Amino acid sequence: MDFDSPDVMKDFPGLYASELNKKCNNDSDYSDETDKGNKKDMLIGKRKDKKDKKDKEKGYAALEGESSADEECKSRSPSKTKKSKSFKFTTKSKDKREKSREKEKDTGDKKKERDKKNDKKTEKEKNKKVKNYEDALDIAEALPIFGVNLETAVERSRCHDGIDIPLPIRECIDYIESAGTSFEGIYKISGTKSKVLLIRKMYNNRQNINLNDYDVPTATSLLKMFLRDLPEPIFTSDSLVRFEEAGAILNLNTREKHLKILVDNLPPLNKLLLSWLIIHLDNISLNQTHNKMTKQNISAALNHTFHSSSRLLHALLHHCRALFPDLTITKYIPPLSSGQTLPDDLETMEIELKKQESLLTQIHTEMNVGCISKEREELLWEVQRIITQLKRKIKTAHKEKEPIVPQEKEEPEPVEVSVEEPIKEPEPIVEPENRPTEPEPTLENTIEHLEEIPQDDDNDKPMILTDSSLLLLKFKNNGLLALKERLERNILEEQKEILSLKNQLLPEKPSVVPSNEGLDELMSLLQKENQILQINKINLVRKIIEQQEICIELKAKLELSNQV
Amino acid sequence: MAKKPAVQTALHKVIMVGSGGVGKSALTLQFMYDEFVENYEPTKADSYRKKVLLDGEDVQIDILDTAGQEDYAAIRDNYFRSGEGFLCIFSITEDESFQATQEFREQILRVKNDENIPFLLVGNKSDLQDKRKVTFQEASDRANKWGVPYVETSAKTREHVDKVFYDLMREIRARKMEENKTNNGRGKDKNKKKKLKCVIL
Repeated sequence: MDFDSPDVMKDFPGLYASELNKKCNNDSDYSDETDKGNKKDMLIGKRKDKKDKKDKEKGYAALEGESSADEECKSRSPSKTKKSKSFKFTTKSKDKREKSREKEKDTGDKKKERDKKNDKKTEKEKNKKVKNYEDALDIAEALPIFGVNLETAVERSRCHDGIDIPLPIRECIDYIESAGTSFEGIYKISGTKSKVLLIRKMYNNRQNINLNDYDVPTATSLLKMFLRDLPEPIFTSDSLVRFEEAGAILNLNTREKHLKILVDNLPPLNKLLLSWLIIHLDNISLNQTHNKMTKQNISAALNHTFHSSSRLLHALLHHCRALFPDLTITKYIPPLSSGQTLPDDLETMEIELKKQESLLTQIHTEMNVGCISKEREELLWEVQRIITQLKRKIKTAHKEKEPIVPQEKEEPEPVEVSVEEPIKEPEPIVEPENRPTEPEPTLENTIEHLEEIPQDDDNDKPMILTDSSLLLLKFKNNGLLALKERLERNILEEQKEILSLKNQLLPEKPSVVPSNEGLDELMSLLQKENQILQINKINLVRKIIEQQEICIELKAKLELSNQV
Repeated sequence: MAKKPAVQTALHKVIMVGSGGVGKSALTLQFMYDEFVENYEPTKADSYRKKVLLDGEDVQIDILDTAGQEDYAAIRDNYFRSGEGFLCIFSITEDESFQATQEFREQILRVKNDENIPFLLVGNKSDLQDKRKVTFQEASDRANKWGVPYVETSAKTREHVDKVFYDLMREIRARKMEENKTNNGRGKDKNKKKKLKCVIL
């Protein structure tokens, strides 16, 4: 473990000592921060209490501590205490809200500058592995949710119900679907920028946000901001052009077909997010009598957000049901927090357990990167406690369910199995992190031995079904193996060819350089053609594979009949 | 904010450490729910909270039951950092688990960087005297070397189960009071210093 490296350990002066230390050393420790603060000063030209604020921001975690020394430090500057409150809770009093807004403006201006630094910084810190709060990273700075690529954003702000779209988007969609579909000019009218920036900051800080405290334009603007801030368009840089071309096709059937292929070839996370957004926007357009937002209007209002043309958006909206046939938008129910009563029926408990475990994994990941604060640790214990309680409850529920056959695993009621299986499936989503995968102790064991039964059944059946089906499978297997070998050989050959072609390309490059407008036009034409050909190729390859599979199956059958 | 600590009951965070199968979960469950679990299920991590009366004072105890297996070391460190007191468990019937306590002690000291962290060495399974592999003397020698108490428990018979938790909580409480004092002292010193500076200026 990196944590064990002894030289880092030396730096760890203990829980409470470190808090005090931090408070008192702030000015010197964060000279970097102060620098930034000064730049900010110049930019905005007001706020002389900037440094205080900055300190407060960084020291926030420490301020949360409860030792009386902290209290004293705080009482030295009463304004700090007040602000630190407004920083933590969703703003209640106007006074507080205003303050955080001002602050947000500042940080907003600074944001870009900070974003640039972030990547480098995070990596550096990662290697360092922080041991105490003093060195701990500010989570909003080290692991922001906005402005990072989609995969990272999903990882950092997971919806713990297994639907992998970033939490801010999910919550915006939920809120808008429930409160705003009839809002006139929705997605066209933008919200107050300061509010949007405040919410973004809160998301980056992993605070709980209740969008009901805000309004529809704020939520739509936040969603737009998230998408605009993505470093790569949701259609991916590679396929954006192809999407645009597909969207420009006049024949509706062809257009749909091409879009479908392109959508299906998107990375899973992009496809998922796109599907939710498009279906959501379609829902908005269904309410156009009230909100005056036709598909046309929506596309015009959002094309920048999607880094695309409005024509493409309109095409996607037009074909949305064909492109994403079985998607329904479901409201996100976050994991319970302590104090809420746990569910009683088995299925809900299992689902809740998965959510909590997903949340726990996320907290651990964040802490392992170095985002440690009193608050996070508190949360860690809390989530762990809920998991323990849930596991206990589930265990007792299982025991109550099978009181007649307490020892024999052979014959539990089939009802039980059907309850287990659908829940077992989302498992990989819960533990994708690179930590050692662990054999889930209490609950998993019970599930496992329940699952043994259907497996046994499966094993029994083919035995009874005579060996003809077994033979068939064997033949099929042989056929598939042969196919695999052949394909692998092909791949090797083609790889060789690619290499040799590349070698040819290298020396020829300079001759390509001279180009003029005519050539450019030709180029784009050729590119278009190429893309269309590519799509056709993909289709053909698919067909070939399908045919091959059918062939193998038929051959296997033939051989079987020959044997018989 | 100043009102908060007065209203809130004290919360002591205890962490159970030790090799796999020595009875960390058994001790915890016995303490929490007065039950003894015979069958062994390795723990990944479990956390419990209980309200108890500690010398006439209402307090809450958070117990974190960790995994004995090395596989979970990455998670364990996150918890160690936030623990205020540690019960280091071994089984008196298994010498290996006793040897492992040395490793655990070092790990904790490394993470906490504090020699005086509240800590108890606990020899569990004292009901299995006929299978004893670690003598009382051996264990208490090690405890003396570390400057920590040694207690033998039985999660099965509940012998000394409450004792180890309560003793540890007392140590944590004493530790916190001491810390508050020194912190206050230091805080005042700082203020004085600042004042002095101003006068000079």
